[in-house]
Amino acid sequence: MHDITIIVRLWKASVIQAMEYRMSFVFAIFANFMDFIFGLLQYVVFFTAAKNVAGWDANEVLALYAVFMSIFALQFIFLYPNLVAMGEMVNTGTLDLLLTRPVSSQLVLSFRKVSFEEFGSLTTSLFLMIWLTLNGTIILSMENIFYFGVLFFCSASLTYSMFVIFLSLTVKLEKLDNMANLMWSIFSLCRYPAEIYPRWLRSIFYSIFPVAFISTAPAAALTGRLQQELIASAIIIAVISLLLSRISWKMALKAYTSAGG
Amino acid sequence: MKVDFKTLVTIIIAYWKIILTYRGMMLIHGIRLVLMPMVMLTAWLSIERTSANPYSDSDYLFYYMLVPVVLNLTDGRIVFKLPMAIRMGTLNRDLVKPFPAPLLFALESFANNIAQLIYLIPFTLIVFFIFHDQLPSFNPDLLIISLFFLSIVTGALARMFVNGTVALAGFWLEDITTLNLIVNGGIWALLGGMIIPVATFPERFRTIAGYLPYRYMLSFPIEMLSGQLSKAEILHGFVIATTWIAFFSIILRILWKKGLKKYTAYGG
Repeated sequence: MHDITIIVRLWKASVIQAMEYRMSFVFAIFANFMDFIFGLLQYVVFFTAAKNVAGWDANEVLALYAVFMSIFALQFIFLYPNLVAMGEMVNTGTLDLLLTRPVSSQLVLSFRKVSFEEFGSLTTSLFLMIWLTLNGTIILSMENIFYFGVLFFCSASLTYSMFVIFLSLTVKLEKLDNMANLMWSIFSLCRYPAEIYPRWLRSIFYSIFPVAFISTAPAAALTGRLQQELIASAIIIAVISLLLSRISWKMALKAYTSAGG
Repeated sequence: MKVDFKTLVTIIIAYWKIILTYRGMMLIHGIRLVLMPMVMLTAWLSIERTSANPYSDSDYLFYYMLVPVVLNLTDGRIVFKLPMAIRMGTLNRDLVKPFPAPLLFALESFANNIAQLIYLIPFTLIVFFIFHDQLPSFNPDLLIISLFFLSIVTGALARMFVNGTVALAGFWLEDITTLNLIVNGGIWALLGGMIIPVATFPERFRTIAGYLPYRYMLSFPIEMLSGQLSKAEILHGFVIATTWIAFFSIILRILWKKGLKKYTAYGG
């Protein structure tokens, strides 16, 4: 509870800081909205040359895009600024100051900064989901909502685990400050249904490197395409990922030798 | 300010030494360059084509096999480094050097692009050897090969100037990440040919893309090498690319002068 109070106060500080540059803040929200629109246009143009992709029609792929952008935006709001800041903290030694404080280092380093600029994308994703519900692509039955809720939570957990592993690598490896960009790139694997990949690669994406659960599985739940046996796998993989990320963080801190500061 | 060839080479070598010290970063960037084109390739190979789509599987294979190399060679990292230098104040150090500061950033980007070929050329060759029997037959003559390399130079210059213009917005905006997201993430990916090869666009869309600079940063060199463009189309492409380079070089110069007047040199 003490750590959460600290995080909430740090978020308030982030908001105050963002409000110091109001024009930049408003522009950033607009820019993110435009980024979403250009992303949407990419799919629109894509489907002028394709009838469907791996059996998913245009509207179903848009549902996947809406889910993808929601999770991507949440990642950008809560995690991305912290991963960007981490490289600098390790290199300048300011990480030491935080590690000596009586707080959970993983929790505070994961969530101490927020960037509300991606609200533009998040809001537009929700509008896209509403439109897809109205045109019948998203089927809002109790069963689908429940499965989607569970899978979206698993997706968020997997994203957070990946983030913590990258955070740990930033601590362990010197000058690896483009981890945030790598995370961004890995998200590109989730922009299209996992069914586009060859069978062997798909198996990896549903198990060892479970990016298929980030957007494909929740989108499949919304559109009624979900194979229900995937839910148990998603929960087990999410739990294992969280455990692995915790272990990697502890190992990184053990190996950390401090850079001064 | 006089810039001689020997100084340029010395600076590039110095950047290579720095880049090769951080090989992990290089590898990560290499993964980034390869990942998205491969995702797009698998997506295009799994589609049910519309009748208007002129590309076959082998065309897509050829196109996305070359995307990582062309993408890398035309990349302009000035958009990341320069705004950071403005924000942190480290630009101060570059301004007092007897060398044009923007050129330093351009050379750093160039050195990075060349160094990245260590990963990308073997990757492209491996893809070529694995799929050579599925690639379209093509016999480019010496002229086309020369024009291909020239188009990479014009593409790199166009992207450098466009990115430089975005980077210089850093004099006025606290953070240009989102502006860059639109120009390099949204518009470029759509109209440059990363997501959809420009040749497969609907007619009207293709015409618009042909008059904008983005196509010349990625799609144009590959289309040319694959033999899909006539001599008139190639000439037309070079004229448009050169016009954009001239336009953005003027904008860049104006912004640099105005930006320096606004720059308060805080930090560093």
